[in-house]
Amino acid sequence: MIYKVITKKEFKKFVNGLINSNETFGPRQVNTAKDGKPIYQFKEVHSFDEMELDYTLSYSSLKNFFLPFREVLSRYNFTDDNWEQEIEYRVNPRVIVGVRACDINALCKLDDIFVNGSFPSPYYIARRNNTFLIGMDHLPMDDCFCMSMGELVVRQGFNLFCTDLGDRYYLSINSSKAFNFLRNVKTTDPTDKDDRQWLERRNLIKRSFNTTVDTSSLPNLLDIEFDSPIWEKWGDKCLNCGTCAMVCPTCYCYGIEESIDVSLKSSRRERFQHSCTVVDFAEVAGGHNFRPSKEARLKYRYYHHYHGFAENADEQICVGCNRCGRNCLAGINPKDVIDDLLMEKTDEV
Amino acid sequence: MKYLGIDPQKIKIGVFNFTCCEGCALALANKEETLVDFLDLLDVVTFREISSDRGEDYDIALVEGSISRDDEIERIKKIRAQAKVLVALGTCACYGGVNNLKNQFKIEEVVEIAYGKDKVETSKVRPLSDVVKVDLEIPGCPVSKAEVEKIVVDIVNQSEINFPEYPVCVECRRNMNTCVFDLGMICLGPITQAGCDAVCPNGGVGCLGCRGPAEDANYESFREILEENGFTMQEALERINFYNALPGMVIDES
Amino acid sequence: MKYKLPKEDINLKPFMSKPPRYNWKDVIMRTDKTYKCEIINIIELTPMEKLFHLKILDPVERDIFSFRPGQFLMLEVPGFGEVPISISSSSNNKEYIALCIRKAGRVTDILHKAKKGAKVGIRGPFGTSFPMEEMIGHNILLIAGGLGLAPLRAPLYWISEHRDEYEDVSLLYGTKDPPSMLFTYEYAEWEKVNHIDLLTIVDQGDDGWTGRTGLITELFKEMTIDPDNTFAIVCGPPIMFKFVCNYLDSIRLPMNRMFVSLERRMHCGMGKCCRCMVGSTFTCVDGPVFDYWSVMNLKEAI
Ligand SMILES: Cc1cc2nc3c(=O)[nH]c(=O)nc-3n(C[C@H](O)[C@H](O)[C@H](O)COP(=O)(O)OP(=O)(O)OC[C@H]3O[C@@H](n4cnc5c(N)ncnc54)[C@H](O)[C@@H]3O)c2cc1C
Ligand code: SF4
Ligand code: SF4
Ligand code: SF4
Ligand code: SF4
Ligand code: SF4
Ligand code: FES
Repeated sequence: MIYKVITKKEFKKFVNGLINSNETFGPRQVNTAKDGKPIYQFKEVHSFDEMELDYTLSYSSLKNFFLPFREVLSRYNFTDDNWEQEIEYRVNPRVIVGVRACDINALCKLDDIFVNGSFPSPYYIARRNNTFLIGMDHLPMDDCFCMSMGELVVRQGFNLFCTDLGDRYYLSINSSKAFNFLRNVKTTDPTDKDDRQWLERRNLIKRSFNTTVDTSSLPNLLDIEFDSPIWEKWGDKCLNCGTCAMVCPTCYCYGIEESIDVSLKSSRRERFQHSCTVVDFAEVAGGHNFRPSKEARLKYRYYHHYHGFAENADEQICVGCNRCGRNCLAGINPKDVIDDLLMEKTDEV
Repeated sequence: MKYLGIDPQKIKIGVFNFTCCEGCALALANKEETLVDFLDLLDVVTFREISSDRGEDYDIALVEGSISRDDEIERIKKIRAQAKVLVALGTCACYGGVNNLKNQFKIEEVVEIAYGKDKVETSKVRPLSDVVKVDLEIPGCPVSKAEVEKIVVDIVNQSEINFPEYPVCVECRRNMNTCVFDLGMICLGPITQAGCDAVCPNGGVGCLGCRGPAEDANYESFREILEENGFTMQEALERINFYNALPGMVIDES
Repeated sequence: MKYKLPKEDINLKPFMSKPPRYNWKDVIMRTDKTYKCEIINIIELTPMEKLFHLKILDPVERDIFSFRPGQFLMLEVPGFGEVPISISSSSNNKEYIALCIRKAGRVTDILHKAKKGAKVGIRGPFGTSFPMEEMIGHNILLIAGGLGLAPLRAPLYWISEHRDEYEDVSLLYGTKDPPSMLFTYEYAEWEKVNHIDLLTIVDQGDDGWTGRTGLITELFKEMTIDPDNTFAIVCGPPIMFKFVCNYLDSIRLPMNRMFVSLERRMHCGMGKCCRCMVGSTFTCVDGPVFDYWSVMNLKEAI
């Protein structure tokens, strides 16, 4: 990694350069919540000033740029008594500015599955390799717990990461593309003062966390407490609405639907993001459901996130953004559920 | 499909209206890009919205509207006898729909408000399935043309038809909408069956539950959520009663 | 332009012009590309089950496609959907692939209406297989319930082709009634030519039935199993293999010599869609064939 420092003014020039030459997305306010707080999403931007880089966190995660909620995987074109399959991968390069650490680390988790796992996905790779990511640090919200998940620090998976030093950014440059683009603007090598300030900023961020979740023992505990009554307690609240998985940056499971066009001349094979909390997730032909209860379904989401799956190097996949908790109408959130699970255990001892 | 050795078969349909706004039948005639192809799949025997032909040899009867008069009962029974497949089209046909508003008042009052002093024969509003056997229910107010297209294509291809079992929220979140609860409004999405692509929340308003209940809908938890969000049961019931398609939410308070 | 991102057009990469090799798990390939097949023969086994013979049309793809007994493939019916189906033919058969399919839903229903000459697609093979080599020199117990006989045909062919390498081989087969029995026309050959002891049983007999009635575990009463020298392969509904495996466990057949094939919903076959997870494993990648020890250690497996 190469480190540089850039003034905010130069940075703006730099980003505007990118915006003018490429399709670019950045955080923008889309709504105001009833409590007066702004709601942000990543939207296309046409100039630096359209972005709100001081945003908290985007409402929905960034994963739709890599795993769209719905995506045509292939098409079949029908001729008289035959068909041909047509597959194409998206390639339009694009820039995303202002990505938070948890979201970058979430992408690294998805990389493990879709790039480094068995059967790498060309759909994902095409999008990932054509996306230029500029990360940016921020002070956590009250309920963020990425530090507990060890996902506060970014190591890879981005092109450029900016640490805010007030009037300038401390840049971590992680790709030759970024390095080359930066030649167009004025950057300096970090001075001793910059380094100190960088460390201060990191410490400030760390001190600002108000939520900690202890997930270290969960891989075992989730097995041990598989039949714990706490699942019923939380499962009873669950609406099976899938919201948690849709907004989560690392939930990736899906379903496939095929449909024939009205002309009967072609058909689409489409992928839809799904969720294990949704009722038909594990239902098979004939109506048998391998997870028939709300409790079993909700538990599974926790199992996947905090136990980890073999395909995913048995790694926990939650990055602690708490989007799932914030957006769950029923108030189901990792902090409370996991605390409950830990309490259960402590009470029994 | 031909490649399977199965010839797609045009379906002979009749479209019939009962008590309703006829919006569902109209919805069938929209979506211009695909209308020609869509009509190509159909052999329309009776369909007031697009042609004046009146035939009797339909196989599939698409019936919109609910039953609210005695003569309608006779008519639907006749249609049932002729049709190989009877499809209830739209919320009115499936659940009674908007017409249910009528059920909340005394019949005599309704008659008087609606028709003044002239007596009109009208009875309680009922979904088709209260009167005849219904083979397929396509809910929605109005029905989603995209969904109807899909179903018609499946029938033409002799394929089984699948409906989503999950609630509107799934589609709503896939569309990356801001949840209308966050904006301070009520939405029945979490307990309503998806399939409409969440059109109402897409437009920034809460779902009214026109598509009926989602599989395994969690009414109890939803009631608590309404309360926590500062809504009274009365406010919620007003929404639910609009279509009356979510009977599970209405509990007997006594 | 100074700030223009270069395009990385993955559509131009060499893998795009090559057929995918589903036996190579970690290389980039067109993961959704199907091998086009023609249905060259359809045999109606029962009103609910048909046997389809599929011939891969492209000679290169036909050459690439090789599988081991116990593996499955994803069968694509364009426009209708894709379903996982066990391969029910010999891994030596380069002419065609046999699939025994029960009418159960949207995709399987339309397949049952398809005619000879129809074109479908396949992806695969996927998943783990039975330990055919490890079983050499041992007795083999094949136990099937209902449609569970379909995946057992592949190991049956293998055993027949290498019959002298194995000791006693028995096939225990149970169905709910006589008409549901599959592949009855092959039983004589299995017994006489391949020297496989075949024991059948039905839950409920009918007028013409002279064989055994009862649960499949009844068949164990008629045989002696040498737990030190036997491998067992069990395929069938979960409730059945639970009973069968419990019995085998009670006579001390080591759990790592009992194999079962699990069924879950599947939408990819590649460890991506998560629909097939059992505990922390994927049925499509780490299964469908598991030894019973692994099954016991998986949450929610049975
Ligand atoms: C490893 C494996 C091997 C199998 N081998 C055979 C076989 O040899 N013969 C046979 O008849 N059946 C087999 N099945 C079951 C078969 O896959 C289902 O009957 C089939 O998927 C039903 O699809 P459908 O579209 O007809 O039903 P629908 O209910 O309409 O299913 C819709 C979708 O759900 C999924 N699905 C539904 N049921 C199952 C299921 N039981 N397993 C996996 N996915 C499912 C499929 O993706 C399907 O496209 C096997 C299943 C697995 C997992
Ligand atoms: S946990 Fe919450 S967001 Fe997730 S499905 Fe249940 S109710 Fe919906
Ligand atoms: S936790 Fe559930 S919703 Fe999330 S990726 Fe895993 S299976 Fe899907
Ligand atoms: S599980 Fe929740 S907290 Fe963890 S990454 Fe997903 S949305 Fe964020
Ligand atoms: S707006 Fe309605 S449908 Fe959308 S997520 Fe919120 S509750 Fe669900
Ligand atoms: S969002 Fe609700 S009310 Fe609106 S169309 Fe869909 S189901 Fe009907
Ligand atoms: S079938 Fe998709 S993960 Fe196993």
